[in-house]
Amino acid sequence: MNTSIPKASPIARLALAIALVLGLFAAGSLLAPRQAQALEVTQCTAAPNEDGGNQILGGAETRITWRGQAAEDESVTSIVLTMPEGLQFDAEGVKVTGLDDLDRVELNAQVTIPGDGTMHIDFPEPAPAGLSFLVETYGATFPAEGGTFTVSTQITDADGTVTDLGPSSEIQVAGLSKSEQISSWLEGQEWVQAWNSNRFLHMFFDPTLIVTSVPSVAQGWVTALGIVIIAFPLAIVVGFLLALLRMSKLLPLRAIASFYVNIVRGTPMFLQIYIAFFGLPLLGVNIDNFALGCIVMALNSCAYLCEIFRAGIQSINKGQFEAARSLGMTAPQTMLNVIIPQAFRNVIPTMTNELITLYKDTSLLAAVGIMETVMYAKTITAATGNITPYIVAALFYLVVTLPMTAITRRMETGSTKKTSGKKGKRSGKLSDGKGGWTPATDGTSTKLEVKQPDYF
Amino acid sequence: MTTETINTSTPVEGAEQPIVRIQDLHKSFGGTEVLKGIDLDVHRGEVVVVLGPSGSGKSTMLRCINRLEEPTSGHIWFEDVEITNPKTNLNKVREHVGMVFQSFNLFPHLTAKENVMLAQRKVLKRSKEEAAKVAEEQLARVGLADRMDHHPSELSGGQQQRVAIARALAMDPHVMLFDEATSALDPELVRGVLDVMKELARGGMTMIVVTHEMGFARDVADRVVFMEGGVIVEEGAPDQVFGNPKSERTRAFIGDIS
Repeated sequence: MNTSIPKASPIARLALAIALVLGLFAAGSLLAPRQAQALEVTQCTAAPNEDGGNQILGGAETRITWRGQAAEDESVTSIVLTMPEGLQFDAEGVKVTGLDDLDRVELNAQVTIPGDGTMHIDFPEPAPAGLSFLVETYGATFPAEGGTFTVSTQITDADGTVTDLGPSSEIQVAGLSKSEQISSWLEGQEWVQAWNSNRFLHMFFDPTLIVTSVPSVAQGWVTALGIVIIAFPLAIVVGFLLALLRMSKLLPLRAIASFYVNIVRGTPMFLQIYIAFFGLPLLGVNIDNFALGCIVMALNSCAYLCEIFRAGIQSINKGQFEAARSLGMTAPQTMLNVIIPQAFRNVIPTMTNELITLYKDTSLLAAVGIMETVMYAKTITAATGNITPYIVAALFYLVVTLPMTAITRRMETGSTKKTSGKKGKRSGKLSDGKGGWTPATDGTSTKLEVKQPDYF
Repeated sequence: MTTETINTSTPVEGAEQPIVRIQDLHKSFGGTEVLKGIDLDVHRGEVVVVLGPSGSGKSTMLRCINRLEEPTSGHIWFEDVEITNPKTNLNKVREHVGMVFQSFNLFPHLTAKENVMLAQRKVLKRSKEEAAKVAEEQLARVGLADRMDHHPSELSGGQQQRVAIARALAMDPHVMLFDEATSALDPELVRGVLDVMKELARGGMTMIVVTHEMGFARDVADRVVFMEGGVIVEEGAPDQVFGNPKSERTRAFIGDIS
């Protein structure tokens, strides 16, 4: 004999309680107290099924627990639960228990599932009044997209009165991403199960984990690329300036540059990262992690680039410098128009190698918590105890490094062909300046002295 | 530009001050003294050929004239400017002193035309159009009108050396220095370069030529200078130096070569 009171949310419940209290005050104690409900739904939840987490995920099996407390004088003969739309469940997974306080009460419950999304629990003999019901649905699966779900309850008591109790409190189900859906689909495939039955294949190449790792590790990969894209141009500029300092005629400038280059090249990058990331905050300098990561990478790489540029510039034949100067060009003009264009072409392969090194070294930033490729893989591995995410991370590195290595190799062969005349001159293998194609018959190349040019 | 005719004797003295004057020039590399006091005057329009065995210091002397080598002591004047004065703006001097190297030293990343244009643009501040026009003229002059857009690696040694000559000429030099310009060339390619140099000499260009080409010296030189051991052993008209050398060492050298 009860009107149904929606029990949608705690807020609604609170509002109801406040209204009730106010109502009691207004009407005084003469009015009848609150009518007891026929049955109160005390719990309607789903068990978390996330690996290493506490979310309820769609597309994976979970257990739905529904609890109802019948009123003192109510004897229930039937409970109809309208289950969430799209929920997959069957009668076999349903377990109905009656509880009188802490004692289990034997119930002869008949569970039928007509297929319209409802679950009918009938008690041929009316359940004892005031009983507490526990309905557990094992092996229920929410739709993969996730969403917010409720269970509606309808009861029939011994008099044949049907009471609609409305929807239960909400169950939040997290949706699966595309990759998680594929992964959970894969999990069900026979060949995947066969594959994973091999311990090695499972630990290193689990297909389901490959699928779930890729989007996550890709985020870290983007971060790593971002660091490289910012740090490398910075390193080129600073490295080039350092190279000019190292070739300066002024001893102090040379000394400063050499000191810096030798310190950086003589210490592990790992240590440099630690010093920067843990040292600067102690000095009260707080730089954003990503920015600091870029700076440390650039400051490390520029020392190596300095040496690459220096070697590139000094590899240019002294005659080039003399020819330019003999035409009245100044030292800076010569540097800019004659030496650097040639040196740059010569150093592109070594520079690319340094770029590859820099890219790989971004992984060291995982040690200070920058969310790059390795760090993402590490997180998943920590949660799953599987090495597969690291293999995925390795693939992300190779996607970049292998093509770059191939390009470098092609450039190296290309550039030696193009400049063979010049190189021949320096090594004395080819005759002087023949451009590499006229027959080499003279022996004058030995006459040429190869001296390091003075650029400044 | 003095005359079109080739003088066989030393040109007029006193009438004009020399375009290049070298006085008591010394140059040491480490402890080795390569030049032991050179005195030489070169006059406008004169072609001076410097001969001598390897290591006699002829290239070093030439390189001192535009200070690619720093003289140890002594003085060099170019026109009114003392090159050896530390205050001299060397770049200004070098604009007017063209040099051709044994190993060509073309800029390999530029085409023939661009090689000739670069210094015109950067040093003489000529417009792109003007520099291109001059480059085309000079390349045509050395017989390379059809090779302007080739890179040095696509040219033969002789062609490269002619581009190098065009590159120097494009700067309108007052004097041209040739440092064994044909020594690195295959014999069949030497002639083309020598022809260009002869043409230049006939046009009245002042030239100081270090070479081993006796034929060129005999035909083109106004004066031949023979160096050995860092000093000038003998100088004079080609007929005299080749026909009747005063020094025993000159005679021995010429005997060996020809």
